Amino acid sequence: MSILAVTGVPTVILALGAIGLYLLLPGRPSRIRGLAPLLLAITAGALIGTFLSRMAGGPRGWFAAFALLALIGAVRTITHPRPVYSVLYFIVVVASVTGLLVLLDAEFVAAALLLIYAGAILVTYVFVIMLAQQKNPATYDLQAREPLAGCALGFVLLAILNGGWQKAPTIMPGAPQAGLGSPLQLGSHLFTSYLVAVQIAGVLLLAALIGAVAIARRRGEPEEG
Amino acid sequence: MVSGYLTIGALLFVLGLVGFLTRRNLIIVFLCTELMFQGIILTLAALGRQPPGGSAPNLDGQVFALFLLAVAAAEAALALALVVFLYRYQPTLDAEAWKRLKEP
Repeated sequence: MSILAVTGVPTVILALGAIGLYLLLPGRPSRIRGLAPLLLAITAGALIGTFLSRMAGGPRGWFAAFALLALIGAVRTITHPRPVYSVLYFIVVVASVTGLLVLLDAEFVAAALLLIYAGAILVTYVFVIMLAQQKNPATYDLQAREPLAGCALGFVLLAILNGGWQKAPTIMPGAPQAGLGSPLQLGSHLFTSYLVAVQIAGVLLLAALIGAVAIARRRGEPEEG
Repeated sequence: MVSGYLTIGALLFVLGLVGFLTRRNLIIVFLCTELMFQGIILTLAALGRQPPGGSAPNLDGQVFALFLLAVAAAEAALALALVVFLYRYQPTLDAEAWKRLKEP
């Protein structure tokens, strides 16, 4: 009861969003589907309004724009029946997260995210979709699996997380440091404190490379060379 | 100040989770794991900007986000290789088509 009293409004907002997401998932009847954008718009507006009222300073306009874009992109990624469009909306999410990272003084991570995700990983996804996708939307793209249970689980998880944050003490942010996320500082931190982890990450990438080659090669194919 | 960023990160993660559970296309299922990674990267960067306990901003969150990028790249390579491999056996992307792999 006390948790409900503290988090009353956001929980209602989250419930509205969960219902909207349920209606928007592929396979719902089209006559109730028209309600989904309205519900999701109310949710997004209320959420962003809540954040903005709590943020004391900082670039509020940019935060609101990037947050809204990221949420719209994420919802469309998981609800669009055509996989190619899902990937394109996911690029919107990556670009928005890049913007949010820049607002958090993490410039190098933002650049790396845009290069690796939008530049490399997403292109690989598009290639595989071109290889494997049929022309028309297939039945398995038009029917979601257990949408009610999925949305209910997501709502419960978010509501619990939300309750925890509401009770957490608010901390005053430390003063921003000049060049905190710059390549120089990040690199010197990475190659001194985390040197062993960098080596292990390299081994992991090599293992993934060999594994991908071993999995994707046809059985019984003659060895090259 | 960073609570908004943490909430956006959590929302991205949960949206990815819902998609992971409800979509049936194998490629979209793996795309949803990437969506969850986006939420985690945002959360890590936000917590590095304002660490819990009131200490000064540090770079540990950003370093972990970079390692997460490496893990995500490895995961995408293996997952897509697996999709291509499965597609050769049975030309469908339906996750239900591989039901018999799960325990009875």
